[in-house]
Amino acid sequence: MYRQKYIFLLPGLLVLVAIILFPLLFTIRVSFSSWDVYNPGLNWIGGENYARLWEDARYWEALTRLSVLTVGTVLLQYTLGFALALLVWRDIIARRFFRVLFLVPMMTTPVVMSVIWRTIFHESLGPLNPILDAIGIGAQPWLSQAGHAFAAVMIVEVWQWTPFMFLLLLAGLLSLPNEPFLAARIDGAGPIRTFLSVTFPMMGAISVGAILIRLIEASKLMETVYVLTSGGPGTSTETTSYYIYIRGMRDFQIGYSASLSLTYLIVMSVALTLIAKALIRLMVKDRT
Amino acid sequence: MLELSNLTLAEGRVAHLDDVTVSFRKGRLTTLLGRTGAGKTTLMRAIAGLAEPDRGRIALDGKDWSRLAPWQRPVAMVTQQFINYPHLSVLDNVAFPLVRRKVPQDKAHEAARDMLGRVGLGTMIDRRPSQLSGGQQQRVAIARALVKKAPVVLLDEPFVNLDYKLREGLREELVDLLKAERETIVIYASTDPREALQMGDDVILMAEGRAIQSGEPQNVYARPGTTRAAEVVSDPPINLIGMEVSGGQLRLDRLADLPAHALGRDLPAGRYTLGLRAHSIRQGGDLSARVSLTEVSGSETVTHLQAAGQALVMLERTVTNHALGTTITLSLDLGEALVFGAQGRLIEKEPVHG
Repeated sequence: MYRQKYIFLLPGLLVLVAIILFPLLFTIRVSFSSWDVYNPGLNWIGGENYARLWEDARYWEALTRLSVLTVGTVLLQYTLGFALALLVWRDIIARRFFRVLFLVPMMTTPVVMSVIWRTIFHESLGPLNPILDAIGIGAQPWLSQAGHAFAAVMIVEVWQWTPFMFLLLLAGLLSLPNEPFLAARIDGAGPIRTFLSVTFPMMGAISVGAILIRLIEASKLMETVYVLTSGGPGTSTETTSYYIYIRGMRDFQIGYSASLSLTYLIVMSVALTLIAKALIRLMVKDRT
Repeated sequence: MLELSNLTLAEGRVAHLDDVTVSFRKGRLTTLLGRTGAGKTTLMRAIAGLAEPDRGRIALDGKDWSRLAPWQRPVAMVTQQFINYPHLSVLDNVAFPLVRRKVPQDKAHEAARDMLGRVGLGTMIDRRPSQLSGGQQQRVAIARALVKKAPVVLLDEPFVNLDYKLREGLREELVDLLKAERETIVIYASTDPREALQMGDDVILMAEGRAIQSGEPQNVYARPGTTRAAEVVSDPPINLIGMEVSGGQLRLDRLADLPAHALGRDLPAGRYTLGLRAHSIRQGGDLSARVSLTEVSGSETVTHLQAAGQALVMLERTVTNHALGTTITLSLDLGEALVFGAQGRLIEKEPVHG
């Protein structure tokens, strides 16, 4: 009788095998081949691809750059998102209007948003440089100098995804019980002490959740770079996903890009697990 | 002394506080007694700065509090709900007000540990509030309020959400704890007249946002100034019966004519309201009444009756289960009866027997 349950599990298992298990196992196999545009096929070359990537400085640079971008943008998104959520949490004038307004960037297609930002950052035709010029800062080489281009990618990412953080954190704030805040007022805690001792600790679990979701999403950063800078100038804004895309889809080094992908998957899984554990230890007080 | 003058607070047309002028003395426990919605909680919230009065002044030893934010007021408060910090341990909960005042953490913890010992939670300091029972959670809140050594302690029906036995026990413990605080003004809100009479050094009766009478509990109980005050301070409810006096004779509306009763001798002819406490109605006598409800509480029985269209409440110091709908006979003992004039004001008189 209990065998019948497997029949019901079958559709789900099939989907799982088709879209996760098979591609993963196939990618592992491909990563041990030299499959490329000249020699398509699953020959066996052992760990040659992995030895090559170990020596591939461009890959490790992209990974380091991605880590900086991911951690930097997510921290900024968290800080700004929290500040905005706190701003419209309690009764303020036009609270509903602001809540919707802050969500607008998230509702726009990422690629379209990146195209708009590319226009804004355009050094001679975009509107940003004339404004900077007018206020005395002067025109900036937004997309033609490494540091500026890196900052441009960060700005767009923060602009695009702060609303998501804002939404999760506002939902968290709205779900907090009112009593501890009443207690804090009676116990003589001012607004700053209340935030540090009550609001922030009570938001620990939701903060960790929001940060992790964004870290996972941000670690796949690709479309902003693709549209805004194409990884340039040089390789100064190239992220891991974008580099794997170049190797796999432009150079058609399928075997090599499979080994890059798998290494990236393992590094990210380990890193995110460690970060998650550290964040939970740091921010979630009530783990009982 | 904490003085409130002309405190008024309204929301729309509803007056939560209506020109309240009262004072609270140091080293005394003052009970605010009133029914739900009488304005007790609003008054406490105004003192704590959690509600902003439209008008009036709050001053401690002459120092005006009106412009002080809640966190600047030297007040501790325990509310009906068990309000604690869910993310902090019991010890950190109690130490919180001290840490806020920048007391070094070891000293704050020492004081918190001492206070938790006094409220009987010395072995539970590492637990979270959610791991405690309701009574224990409220003890944490009480410990947190007392550890501050605030000159004003507000207790807003702190035991109302606890079961009867626990309430009795905690009330006694709290009174013992507060006795040690000789310079503290303690304000205790209650809807229960018995609690107010047992606990308070002073009592303030509240109704419809107004402070209608204040004084020592026994005096207020014995001589409520108005029918409204008599209603607030009496449990079980006082029987208020319309009465006509003419030539020394009392005629109780719809109930009985009492010829040449001592109570009527000193009263000029006219309309009055007779206030008869539930224990002054006894079973057995000339008056017949139908039982509409019987409540047995501990070793007492409160019986609600209907006598010729007049609702009456009788208290018996025994457990008696009168069957619903049955008719019993009653007598009225007017020895402790209160007489209120046409405006509902108490007419002072010497105790009479007859």
